[in-house]
Amino acid sequence: MYQLRYLCDGTLEGLLTAVFVAFRQHECPTNIVIDEATQASLFDSDVPIITDLALAERVRDGIIGKLGASAYQKVKECFLAEDPSRGGTILRYLRYTMRGGHRSLGHLAAPAVAEAEAIIQRVSTEAHAMIQFARFADVGSGLFYSHIRPRASVVPLIMGHFAARFNVQPFIIHDSRHQLSGVFDTERWWLVEGLPQALSLPTVEEDKFQELWRCFYQTIAIPERRNPVVQRGFMSKRFWGDMCEQRLHYQRRGDEV
Amino acid sequence: MELIEKLGILADSAKYDVACTSCGVERQAVKGQLGSTSTSGICHSFSADGRCVSLLKVLYSNACSYDCAYCVNRRSNDTPRATFTPQELAELTIGFYRRNYIEGLFLSSGVLGTPDRTTELMCEAIRLLRQEYGFRGYIHAKAIPGTSDELLVRLGVLVDRLSLNIEFPSAQSLSVFAPEKAAHHILPPMRFVRDGIKANYQDKRLSAVRRTRFVPAGQSTQMVIGASPESDYQILRLSAELYRKLEMQRVFFSAYIPVNDDPLLAGVREAPLLREHRLYQADWLMRFYQFDVDEIIDAEHPFLDPLIDPKANWALNHMEQFPVEVNKADYELLLRVPGIGVRGAKRILVARRERRLDFDDLRRLNITLKRARLFVTCKGQMDAGVLFDPLTIHKSLTESARRRLRRQDDGQLSLFEGEAADSATAGNLPMGDSASGAVGGADSAAAIVTAAAATTAAAATTADRAAGTATVAAAAATADRAAGTATVAAAAATADRAAGTATVAAKASPVHPATLPFSARFAPVPSFADSDALACIN
Repeated sequence: MYQLRYLCDGTLEGLLTAVFVAFRQHECPTNIVIDEATQASLFDSDVPIITDLALAERVRDGIIGKLGASAYQKVKECFLAEDPSRGGTILRYLRYTMRGGHRSLGHLAAPAVAEAEAIIQRVSTEAHAMIQFARFADVGSGLFYSHIRPRASVVPLIMGHFAARFNVQPFIIHDSRHQLSGVFDTERWWLVEGLPQALSLPTVEEDKFQELWRCFYQTIAIPERRNPVVQRGFMSKRFWGDMCEQRLHYQRRGDEV
Repeated sequence: MELIEKLGILADSAKYDVACTSCGVERQAVKGQLGSTSTSGICHSFSADGRCVSLLKVLYSNACSYDCAYCVNRRSNDTPRATFTPQELAELTIGFYRRNYIEGLFLSSGVLGTPDRTTELMCEAIRLLRQEYGFRGYIHAKAIPGTSDELLVRLGVLVDRLSLNIEFPSAQSLSVFAPEKAAHHILPPMRFVRDGIKANYQDKRLSAVRRTRFVPAGQSTQMVIGASPESDYQILRLSAELYRKLEMQRVFFSAYIPVNDDPLLAGVREAPLLREHRLYQADWLMRFYQFDVDEIIDAEHPFLDPLIDPKANWALNHMEQFPVEVNKADYELLLRVPGIGVRGAKRILVARRERRLDFDDLRRLNITLKRARLFVTCKGQMDAGVLFDPLTIHKSLTESARRRLRRQDDGQLSLFEGEAADSATAGNLPMGDSASGAVGGADSAAAIVTAAAATTAAAATTADRAAGTATVAAAAATADRAAGTATVAAAAATADRAAGTATVAAKASPVHPATLPFSARFAPVPSFADSDALACIN
């Protein structure tokens, strides 16, 4: 079946431009393709969208003006998901809520809203998991480094938390899955593609603290209450590879990256 | 001694303390200082026992001069002893915090000589962390029973949360198991802390920021479950009082794990984890679901049902309130539906302003329908395939629990041998009635009442109460059907009892089977109202 799709350049601005085009042309593309790698189908009609910052800003201001800053935040969070159909979801969400106004944000049972809320829920859960489970290591000269592999590109969502809390130490949070790093220099934070600099090995001090933490972590569990099912329920095994208290366990399985 | 060795010893000694929450206070970060706190708390890891690791939970010292029967650190135990220095503790906390391992510090201690001296040492360690290191993360300190009020104030302004362990659900148990601690060492300081927290808000001269200076995240307490003979009824009544009168933020339960070979505790073989779980469920109902303690448990059924959670249990006993129409019911009633939680109820309220909800809409709202569909209607209709019948519902709700019990007991038949019935669960059957609970371990003729049969009795009771018109014969018939494997005689007997025509008087005292060896010592457990633990709370 013939399907109309928009292709954008993978940026939030590109997505917002595509939203603008869809509204202006009165078109309903089934998806706005954000990731370049998505395979084109033979029968689809793909329209490439050229990112226009001015249009993107108009859309952003329109959303904030009509629905408030929290709605724009929701669009951004949805954009950070990995779901290949999220572009279409955002478009349908905006079509519905821009027509219905502020109250329609609470129409949680409406398919257009429910679909977007489900994605947003997953993204914020993932962001919270990173706030819980990201581990920093001292890599010399006072710099702390954290390696994460979240299932949504959540670095922009967690930098604020860490920058406030750890404002006395420069740090880098490196998301190798999405090739994105957040850098904080004790004054402000910004995003960088890939890893911004070569890192030295963890310091002796670092090894000492990791050893102490492993000791604490293993001691604190009560053998009589062992319950791996509950443990995994709260802390999925996919995070364990980057958590130093689990690393021994991980190396035994030979899954180290 | 190496630091890692100390940490091992002092974490090992602290691991039985339950509280590891970092919630209750929002403290924004400040430029140039390390740390912040968040109201909901953050769990940074989960240990192999599934418990949250949020704080660096250690004792300041485990060289305790007390000799409490239930405690690993008792004076007479031959365990390695260690004591931190304030610097070691501060550097450990800061080092872990900077690596995002923890939200802060949980500091308790064995009694080093006197309570006052111990508290002074703890104060010094925490002061160093707060003032010299500028640490703004979370700190939870244990107050040592018997500490003077001046020292409590000193400690209270340094920490976020203070807790005093009430240790046992009644003063009698406390005096038996922890002879050096007394109720008058525990409850007055709790009242003192409560009044101090209240004064935070009353002192108008303090700025808004400084107003919550004394123990801003409130106080909590914990008690050991299963070492002493108190019933769930007594425990929950006590925690309700603690919430209401002492304004506790949390009351923690800790299933007693046999760590000592004390003759006092010879009867406890394994930790009553399921019982602890049910108590926490009941605790949640009181704190977040607007349940009153009397709705959850009563003196006639003093133990929570191991087969079914307390919320579903309440629903089954109040079938006249169900099914609930999701499009009309108010928030309080929605919260009473098994399967609908605080978040779900709020989402329903928001979503139904736009449209009348059906079951597909509920699924879109992320409501777990597995249980909720048995108790709600949408636009006046039950979900397809749901039969609104108390017995059927009871059966489907307890199915997995019964299967689990059967697995534990290694085959269904063994359920019928009073001995084999799991000690931690058979004795807990509250809904059968107090008799079946007590005799489960008491080896009387009724001991053959099995978990299944007791459940049946429960179901029959429910059916009876709900329908109001069920005849004895009908109840017997349904009981029979539900039990499936119970003998006709047994089922008839239980159904009979449920129908109120029982000749067997249910007068046995409600004693938890795990603690039966104490029954001589404790003779009839005094009713809660007599317990002087309660009398002390004002």
